[in-house]
Amino acid sequence: MHPRRDLYPGYDVLTKRDSPSWNAKTRDVLAERLGIGPEKHRFLDDEEWTTLKAVCDRVVPQPADRADPIPVAALIDHKLATGEHDGYRHADLPDQGEAWRRGLAALDAEARAAYGAGFHELGAWARDELLKAAEAGTLAHPAWGDMPTAKFFSGRVLADAVKAYYAHPTAWSEIGFGGPASPRGYVRMDFDRRDPWEAAEAKPGDAGEAITQNRRVGR
Amino acid sequence: MEARGNGLPGVRPRTAPVRFEAEVHPVVALALVAAGAGVLTWFAAGRSKRLGLTPHGGRQVRVKGSRRYRERGTEVTASAAQRLNHASSMLAASVLFDSGLEHYRGQFFNRAMYTPIIASTVTLASSLHGAGDTDPGRSHVRHAVQAMAGVTGLVGFGFHAWNVGKREGGYSWQNLFYGAPIGAPMALTLAGILGVAAERVRDADPDAPELAGLPAGGALAVATAGMLVGTTLEAGLLHFRGAFQNPAMFVPVTLPPLAAAILATAAAAEPGRPHKTAKAGMWAVSAMGVLGVAFHAYGVARMMGGWDNWRQNMIDGPPLPAPPSFSGLALGGLAALELLEHRRP
Amino acid sequence: MRLSGTGNAADNPRDGTPGDDPMHAPRARNGRAPNVMRMGEWVPMRQHADEDEVDFVIVGTGAGGGTLAARLAEHGFSVVAMDAGPYWRPLEDFASDERHQSKLYWTDERIVDGDNPLQMGSNNSGKAVGGSTVHYAMVALRFRPEWFKSRTLLGYGADWPLDWREMWSYYDQVEDDLKISGPVTYPWGPKRPRYRYRAHEMNAAAKVLARGAEAMGIDWTPTPLATVSAPRGDSPPCVYRGFCVVGCSTNAKQSVLVTYLPRALAAGAEIRDLAMVGRIETKNGRATGVHYFREGRWRFQRAKNVVVAGYAIETPRLLLMSANPEFPDGLANSSGLVGKNLMVQGNQAVWGDFEEEIRSYKGPPSLAVTEHWNYEDRGKDFHGGYCYMSQGPLPTQWGSTQAGSHGLWGEALVSEMQRYNHVAGLKIVSEYLAQERNRVTLTDETDQYGLPIPRITYSWCDNDRAMNRHGLNFMGQALAAAGGRNIWEQGDDTNHLYGTARMGHDRRTSVVDGDCRSWDIPNLWVCDGSVFPTTGGVNPSLTIQAVALRTADRIKAMARGGHQRDA
Repeated sequence: MHPRRDLYPGYDVLTKRDSPSWNAKTRDVLAERLGIGPEKHRFLDDEEWTTLKAVCDRVVPQPADRADPIPVAALIDHKLATGEHDGYRHADLPDQGEAWRRGLAALDAEARAAYGAGFHELGAWARDELLKAAEAGTLAHPAWGDMPTAKFFSGRVLADAVKAYYAHPTAWSEIGFGGPASPRGYVRMDFDRRDPWEAAEAKPGDAGEAITQNRRVGR
Repeated sequence: MEARGNGLPGVRPRTAPVRFEAEVHPVVALALVAAGAGVLTWFAAGRSKRLGLTPHGGRQVRVKGSRRYRERGTEVTASAAQRLNHASSMLAASVLFDSGLEHYRGQFFNRAMYTPIIASTVTLASSLHGAGDTDPGRSHVRHAVQAMAGVTGLVGFGFHAWNVGKREGGYSWQNLFYGAPIGAPMALTLAGILGVAAERVRDADPDAPELAGLPAGGALAVATAGMLVGTTLEAGLLHFRGAFQNPAMFVPVTLPPLAAAILATAAAAEPGRPHKTAKAGMWAVSAMGVLGVAFHAYGVARMMGGWDNWRQNMIDGPPLPAPPSFSGLALGGLAALELLEHRRP
Repeated sequence: MRLSGTGNAADNPRDGTPGDDPMHAPRARNGRAPNVMRMGEWVPMRQHADEDEVDFVIVGTGAGGGTLAARLAEHGFSVVAMDAGPYWRPLEDFASDERHQSKLYWTDERIVDGDNPLQMGSNNSGKAVGGSTVHYAMVALRFRPEWFKSRTLLGYGADWPLDWREMWSYYDQVEDDLKISGPVTYPWGPKRPRYRYRAHEMNAAAKVLARGAEAMGIDWTPTPLATVSAPRGDSPPCVYRGFCVVGCSTNAKQSVLVTYLPRALAAGAEIRDLAMVGRIETKNGRATGVHYFREGRWRFQRAKNVVVAGYAIETPRLLLMSANPEFPDGLANSSGLVGKNLMVQGNQAVWGDFEEEIRSYKGPPSLAVTEHWNYEDRGKDFHGGYCYMSQGPLPTQWGSTQAGSHGLWGEALVSEMQRYNHVAGLKIVSEYLAQERNRVTLTDETDQYGLPIPRITYSWCDNDRAMNRHGLNFMGQALAAAGGRNIWEQGDDTNHLYGTARMGHDRRTSVVDGDCRSWDIPNLWVCDGSVFPTTGGVNPSLTIQAVALRTADRIKAMARGGHQRDA
């Protein structure tokens, strides 16, 4: 596994905002998403909210030096508050809002039972231990009720957190995705080819060329 | 970075280390090199002949002791040669812009992709020089440059054919459509052939001009007709790729072969006869080449985003510089007809 | 620059009507419907009063219903086609954004269970005028001829009451109507006419498939796709923006929304958007019309014929919800098979890293395909066939795959996601078998319309698992041969829906006959993937549309002949 690194140095998909790669509808949609502040929550109460933030920090960790971390928790809360559904739910799981509320409370209860502190007060190692146990289905605190923890973890925690994270332009820049593309799409589709409006990957030992290219994508 | 101002709160620009951008964009560098080579060609072609006073119009007058023009020469050969140079210019210009666009798309992935830009610029300069040259008598520089262009086109053809063959699926329709265009480099060869012919015609006996041992008019007519058919195949391939979605796309695959057939028949006619139909056909093909640019410009506008999205649509849309190669060949045909008409029985 | 009179604008400034919210207020009303090809423009629409007894009311406007609506209207019938979803204007309403564009999916709640519960929502359902063709991957493949007689000729599944040669001629018509962009020659099956438009340029991901296939010694081809490679009317050629499966904002995609529905309107059909049909009314053994919810109230449209075209979940749901004293088990259900035999197709994948940059987000997702294992029966330890295609997942979809199917989270996930531009994969579309235990039923929970929400029960059988194994093994070898490293298998995905109102020769073992008419109620028809008795190993849309055209022609022929089958 390659460790996470600044693979597309200087690339910011938002610099393409006023280029032909973005249409008006896309600008509206992204402006709304970027307007969701990191502390904004309407659906979850404060206790659930702090637990959710602590969960998201471990499921989709962000670089410590990232100036504006992706507000993953706020994006999840936004989904719950606006009632956007996935179109299905497993028969063992309650509705998404109820599942999240119960699951977050249960994770917090598990933390207090195992470590004597709230989930958000735990260090990374302890949080991961609890999440791994949820994933494996080995948690059994009464707070879970009849909700299977493994299904909660895969069907709600992973699904919602990952979708929220990779719906954010900062994540697109991180993985070198071209971002919105309409009316302008792409021309060069072969191996190892990129259009001048696509992210340039830093080749080992030579980030300079990539930086130069990446500063030009918005032109 | 003004994007940040309107409506994207909460996002600070990811700051990249600032680097002083003194380097010249490679495309600019290429353009400069090509232009320089062209200018050099121009002067080189001039120096080889212009050792004395400039000639007096189209009619050659020997100025004693000051000029070293060859004795031979009449308006027919010189004027036909100039026509051939017009033809060659048009083809070279078409190749210059077309290969520039296509190889820009290919991002000059292989250094050899610079070759046609330089070669066609030099050819263009040489042909333009010849076009303004009313003298009979060949320029050795121009002749050499045109011959070089002809060879370069053949080498390019080889490269493109090799490139298509090694793609997934080999010599399939898919790769003929989207691989390196096999026929395209041949346009440079055609420019070279017409340019070489121009110089040879300048040298030829005005009363019975010959090319490669054959009567010049007839030989050129047949050759041009063949080139028109070849270019038709190229246009046909690309218009087939476009599914002939617009009826106008049938014009370049029907009119040129028709005109070529008339042109070839003209070669067989007795010398000195007028060839009005054949000429009309060549003028029609020539006009088609120019109109084709307008049609292709309309095609670009029809792409998503139209001309605002020119960075994509100029490349992905119908190629603007391609149709004039038909005009170039038609001019060559006109030169052939001129020679045929003025040939003494 | 915007060329006057065309839809291919550089941008889509929304100077539309204030309050124009297609998700909450119908657009097709007041005698007009959106001209989806041009910004802000409208086309006239003939309208019917609820009291008018129209010839046909069609429930659903996707591949089945929309195609049928156009053909019936062109045959001169009066048609009202209803869809629960909005009437989108792609040029104005579609963003280049996965999350936002989930507005195209049917995201009303559904309960899933069984051993292999299905994922619903995104890739197998649409709630929009035009149905899921608005966000489908445009793959336009024909059935292998033998599949129409798979029980007789291949020894599994069920025979269709249709002849492949007749279907072949309807495929021709759909391919022409959609101007399918496909290869000049097709490697498999009987001769077919040349595709009307040329195949698209292949991206690197597609070339990975080609390399793998060549290394394995099997044929491959550029995929026939319903997105144009050259201009067609107001459709510009595809610009390879890669957001196909979340809606095409350029109208290059030849969805039902931009092909058959404009034709339907021009021929006098009425389309009602945001119209949720909740019940079909019957009287004396015949359907009399539909109850539907629109603009805040329940209404009743009278009709001489009712066509259900809601796809394999909503179609049986509506038939079951319409149970009444006359038909206590639901409409058209004397065989007891409504909702049963739910089929999907395998959608497993293998993924790997490549040294080269792939950037599969460019271009339509599936630009290359091999149908080798649809046409080769030797060397199989299972019934059925499969094809596989190249893939182009967008970031959230790819993240969900890495998390949900690869089991990654935390640092492992975010670092693996950085390989995004170097990943290529091969994804199968495989033929699963019908089982009566896989089914759609109604639950006690209700949705926003007050209607019972469906339960979808699904489990694999041994044959399905054997096919999965074969496909994953073969694709894994092909991907490795193409240069893939760190190859892993995505074993859980499925797509497409079929079988819950199957057609057949016998009223005891099927719901509708070969004309898609229900055995029980002579003026009730089903026209969508529900009628498929087998799935075949290709994507369904082209076959659904071919069946729809045939059904319309059969209806016309029967009307002309005054033929009425005894109910």
